[in-house]
Amino acid sequence: MTDAGVASRGADPGRLEIALSGEIDLQNAGAVERQLDDLVSNTTESVTIDLTRLTYLDSAGLRVLFGLASRLELLQVHLELRVPRGSVVRRAVEVSGLGEVVAID
Amino acid sequence: MQPAEAYGERLRRLQALTDSDLARLGVDDLLDVVLERVRDLLSVDTGAVLLLDPSGAYLVATSALGLEEETRQGVRIPVGRGFAGRVAQERRAVTIPEVDHGNVLNPILREKGIRSLLGVPLCVGDDVIGVLHVGTLAPRAFTDDDAELLQLAADRIALATRARMTVAERAAASALQRSLLPGLLPDVPGLEFAARYVPGGGGDVGGDWYDVFALPSGQLCVVVGDVVGRGLPASVAMGRLRSAVRAYALVSEDPAEILRRLDEQVRHFERDVMATVLCAIVDAAQHTVRISSAGHPPPVLAAPGRAGELVEVPTDLPVGLPRPRSRHSVTVDLPVGGGLVLYTDGLVERRTEPLDEGLGRLTAAVGPGPAEAVCAAVMGRMIGGDHAVDDVALLVVMRTSPAPAGSLRLVEPAVPQSLRVVRHAVRTYLGAVGATAEDVADVVLAVGEAAANVVEHAYGPAGGALEVVLHRDGPRLSITVADTGSWREARGINRGRGTTMIAALVDDVRIDRDTAGTRVVMTRTIGDERGEDR
Repeated sequence: MTDAGVASRGADPGRLEIALSGEIDLQNAGAVERQLDDLVSNTTESVTIDLTRLTYLDSAGLRVLFGLASRLELLQVHLELRVPRGSVVRRAVEVSGLGEVVAID
Repeated sequence: MQPAEAYGERLRRLQALTDSDLARLGVDDLLDVVLERVRDLLSVDTGAVLLLDPSGAYLVATSALGLEEETRQGVRIPVGRGFAGRVAQERRAVTIPEVDHGNVLNPILREKGIRSLLGVPLCVGDDVIGVLHVGTLAPRAFTDDDAELLQLAADRIALATRARMTVAERAAASALQRSLLPGLLPDVPGLEFAARYVPGGGGDVGGDWYDVFALPSGQLCVVVGDVVGRGLPASVAMGRLRSAVRAYALVSEDPAEILRRLDEQVRHFERDVMATVLCAIVDAAQHTVRISSAGHPPPVLAAPGRAGELVEVPTDLPVGLPRPRSRHSVTVDLPVGGGLVLYTDGLVERRTEPLDEGLGRLTAAVGPGPAEAVCAAVMGRMIGGDHAVDDVALLVVMRTSPAPAGSLRLVEPAVPQSLRVVRHAVRTYLGAVGATAEDVADVVLAVGEAAANVVEHAYGPAGGALEVVLHRDGPRLSITVADTGSWREARGINRGRGTTMIAALVDDVRIDRDTAGTRVVMTRTIGDERGEDR
């Protein structure tokens, strides 16, 4: 089983911070999507997702982020991705064009 | 027969208690034979030997005559309680002329109808190692002579038993050590291993160990440790610690976290155990090693064109100390042609010289080369013709020069679980052929995308095979991901992004589709020839 960690942090419930770790592929993308959906409530004002500790992200995982981005846009919740230069998955995020729909730090 | 003559005769028979024809018997058989002789000698009906267990708190029935239930039921008597427990505690002969519920704990003795008992301690020097007792079915007043004779028998039994137990314990410790040290080190493309284990003074093994194993992620865990102490108890504790490290490595791939959990385990379950451990995780592409040390001497890094040097690992405290401490790790590059030398302190510690001198000799002995040669050079320089005083464990991990050409071919079922297997095999292969970290990230993603397409789109519910072939020829890497199914277009929203991504990750991509199936053929320049910023 491909393993991914989905952890929320930060004390302010309105400003959600989520750290992803491990690997996300076709096998566990659905499970990651459900975990993300559970964390976002209708009082959430902004969501920051940190991909620094993610070691693999393929198009199935990117599909989850694209899907989340479009739903949050509809709900007028601000979404930001943290993918520092040198992160393993930065290339995947760059070549997918995710940067055109989500703010990337 | 006159009394004096009778006593002389008994003494002669006593001499025969542990004579040379018993020399080849193991502990259990020896005790059985000796008990029979004691029974005849003292004209008693029953006899039993109880030996102190390793905790020192219980006597365990080890051999019995006329009381076979004792050993079959594994009777355990607390020292200080009951008849045998009293003999062990008082360290002298104890006799019970009339057995009743008050003075005998063990129901078997009462059920057998034993009326009188005489027991003596089994002593070696100042240590009590057990109890020998005899009993009669008719009331009998045991005399001082009886007690003296039984004590003589007990002394002989004690010596013979201790000698045999020492031999057996050594054999067990040595067998345990051999069975726990990996005889065959794993076969990992791109890496080479060699190891040595030498028991210290007198061939008495201790608690040193080394271990190398692959993790499901494709990373490799390398461990060297040293349980304080010697003999069977240290070997047994070593076995448990080794298993615990393996289990925790499946939960976390951070060596500091693995050692933190190990420390927690030792503090909770292994009261008297302390150990130093070095844990290192080699990443799947074999570019870096992350190292954490629990009070263990630092490994030596070998690199081409350089002298061996000690890795500056923050040395945290050994595992098994009373309070939890924070643990740290350091990541070092593993250069092609270089490697790591891990060892236990027996390799570098000499009573006659400061530790720095030993470490200096070690770093001087380490250089690049095949793992076996490095291992041999280190043992030659550090041990030579001497007998090691302490145990020595040595483990050498070398990163081999990349093969100028070579292939990887994988055939896996086209199911989501295979994607992870494919990624890890590709990462390891790329590391072995000298790909850069950027090459590895890009090619793993490109292969992952093409393979995910096969899993999602190539086959119906019956499934089929996913084939991945990588071939390196100089700087040129060709990659083929193939299936034997019939292609269908992606369904659903946000699909079909994979193909666009592949095009961005490799130099060129071509998709061949015919009745035999689909082949995604990609090429990419890898290694430093690519000349890009990393």
